[in-house]
Amino acid sequence: MTTIIDQQGKPKLGAADLRLKNNRLGMTIFQISWIMVFLALIIVNWQLRFSYSQWPPAGVAPFDPLLPSAATLALLLSSVLVRRGLQTLRRNHLGGFLMRWRGAMVLGLAFMAIIVYEFASVSDAAMATQYGVTMRLMTGFHFVHALAILAIMARVYRGGAAGSYSGDERHSWPVEGTAKLWYFVTLAWLMFYVVLYWIR
Amino acid sequence: MATIAVPLGAQGEQQEADALRRPALSDYLRWSVDHKIIGVQYGVSAFLFFMIGGAMAMLIRLELWTPALDVMVSGAAYNSLFTIHGTIMIFLFIIPMWAAFGNFVVPLQLGAKDMAFPWLNAFAFWLIPPAAVIVLLGYFVSPAEAGWTSYPPLSTLFSGDGQTLWALGAHLLGISSIMGSINFIVTIFNMRPPEMTLWRMPLLCWAVLATSIIAVMATPFLAGALTLLLLDRVAGTTFFDAAGGGDVLLWQNIFWFYSHPAVYIMVLPGMGVLSEVLSVHSRKPVFGYRMVGLSSMGIAFVGFTVWAHHMFTSLQPELRIPFMITTMIIAVPTGIKMFSWLGTIWGGKIRFTSAMLFALGFLSLFVIGGISGVMLAALPFDIHVHDTYFVVSHFHFVLFGGSVFAVYAALYHWFPKVTGRMMNERLGQIHFLFTYFGFLFTFFPMHVVGMLGMPRRVAVYVEAFQPWNQLISFSAFVLGFSSFIVIYNVIKSYYHGPIAGANPWRALTLEWQTTSPPPATNFADDPIPFEDPYGYGTEASGAYLDAVDEAFSGAQPARSGSH
Repeated sequence: MTTIIDQQGKPKLGAADLRLKNNRLGMTIFQISWIMVFLALIIVNWQLRFSYSQWPPAGVAPFDPLLPSAATLALLLSSVLVRRGLQTLRRNHLGGFLMRWRGAMVLGLAFMAIIVYEFASVSDAAMATQYGVTMRLMTGFHFVHALAILAIMARVYRGGAAGSYSGDERHSWPVEGTAKLWYFVTLAWLMFYVVLYWIR
Repeated sequence: MATIAVPLGAQGEQQEADALRRPALSDYLRWSVDHKIIGVQYGVSAFLFFMIGGAMAMLIRLELWTPALDVMVSGAAYNSLFTIHGTIMIFLFIIPMWAAFGNFVVPLQLGAKDMAFPWLNAFAFWLIPPAAVIVLLGYFVSPAEAGWTSYPPLSTLFSGDGQTLWALGAHLLGISSIMGSINFIVTIFNMRPPEMTLWRMPLLCWAVLATSIIAVMATPFLAGALTLLLLDRVAGTTFFDAAGGGDVLLWQNIFWFYSHPAVYIMVLPGMGVLSEVLSVHSRKPVFGYRMVGLSSMGIAFVGFTVWAHHMFTSLQPELRIPFMITTMIIAVPTGIKMFSWLGTIWGGKIRFTSAMLFALGFLSLFVIGGISGVMLAALPFDIHVHDTYFVVSHFHFVLFGGSVFAVYAALYHWFPKVTGRMMNERLGQIHFLFTYFGFLFTFFPMHVVGMLGMPRRVAVYVEAFQPWNQLISFSAFVLGFSSFIVIYNVIKSYYHGPIAGANPWRALTLEWQTTSPPPATNFADDPIPFEDPYGYGTEASGAYLDAVDEAFSGAQPARSGSH
């Protein structure tokens, strides 16, 4: 990391380092901020449970967690691959980065396909209550985020294939930033997954 | 040990000439990533909305001149009028106005060349005009009638399509606020010069930091609530309809989890302004600097624990007392600030500039708003005056007596830095007198009519309240008139005011260690902050300020009271 020395002899960051530092802090704050929307939806789900004497409401079958668990596993593996891809890029191994990034995108697509199926499979009985409606609200809201960030991952992949990034962290912020957004998608889903499928 | 650093912002002759060139009018009408331009864009547009919202307030007071419905065509029209008035004042005036001063002043106080994310900064501002158009369009199409709080079922079953546009516009404004706040936090943490530790940071920056933390944590809840409201209105969901398994209190919980902290978004920057203005114009260090900084963070934190006091009359009984206690606790950090400000001006060489007058006005009026806040925190009293004019009085003492007076103090204080010219002090004093007494006689009597039982949000009332309402309306018209004095002063001073020089108030914070207006990059070189941003009255600070005057002697500083 390059530094310049100011008039009082204290180290001061160069422009590229400062930009990276700003990007990292900005991303962290954004993540903390935006996770609050997901938290708000969990509170919505929680408060609406009290409108009913039982949850799921009488006459509504609970959601089967099997497929969503498989989707969750795919998303977690996808995040691990994203992490490994970033580490590989840091070692200047572009081919390894692209391979892992590609795998992460495939797993992300698998996650989204299962979620779309789950979204479409909500029964009419469930949709007649807040049990089904909040499920669609939460998965739909999460899906929009996953789709947008997957599109950004595809864009980063193209950039990587064109050789736009290097192991120098100052020249690979798009990769790092996108990885952090994907972790965000994963964390948000884990919260929803537990609330929707395991807490009754 | 005193650090008498020669400011490095000193310019060469050509640079100084360039710096003194004020941006052209057209610079303010187009996309710019310069935080100073963006600050002015925020400020001018927010003041424009203040005038629109103020005109609506005048209409409200005209309607209330008599007990009968005689100005508005119907009660519904009156409902939509106070709805758009509150919406404009909160979302389009106060919050963006603090973004104006934050944008212009904070990077300068930090010695930075710009905000951390200049493009994002511009984008955050340019979300506001379309959001405003959407909200205002709704008023003219089929207006929202549910008040700025938009409680269901009023906002879901009874309001017109304007309510949908209201929610869309509020969504955009929330996104703008989050973007701006992220920018402020990163700028404050990462862009300070190495010599400026957090404990040497100006208190406006502390206040903006606390405000931004609230905004990034709370605004997403508003986004969640608005999303549900939109779905209920356009997609047939029933999140807020008990008949469909929903819960009307769901909106109140989520909305107030944002909107009570949002009160501090509207007030905390004003408190930061007060610390600056009182110290500079009293020539004294801020009393209890660290406690003032920490109290801003304390308010930000405790502000998240009080939201349900807005629901005292609908809340489960066992939850009322805890929220009563947390609401009272928030008076502690606020009280720390009040005592600090009193300690700051105590024994100081007070200069009764217009900025100082408005700061003192804030001090006196905010105390009243704070005390009525503690009264409202007391559950038995709150239930007694629930939804009466007492509540209207309380929040106007906080948001007008607090925020707007601080906006005016900030305007008179930093106008010389923004434009390079001083404002007319005599006009400023007249403006203060009209505003202060207009405000006091508008809103103080509302305490009385509120306690006597006059409900808020009604166009028709019992005749016994008419004398009070006529006093209130007359004072409101005086208050409305006062706005034109400051507009005249701004325009006159912009073109004909005395040249300000770099540091007309002989202030120690870094925004004054560069030309007025500052050059595009703010400082010719990295400026060195004085060891204490409020260390007035010492030999070292005098030497530092003399060095600043000497460095910028090309533009003779105008002293306070010299014009």
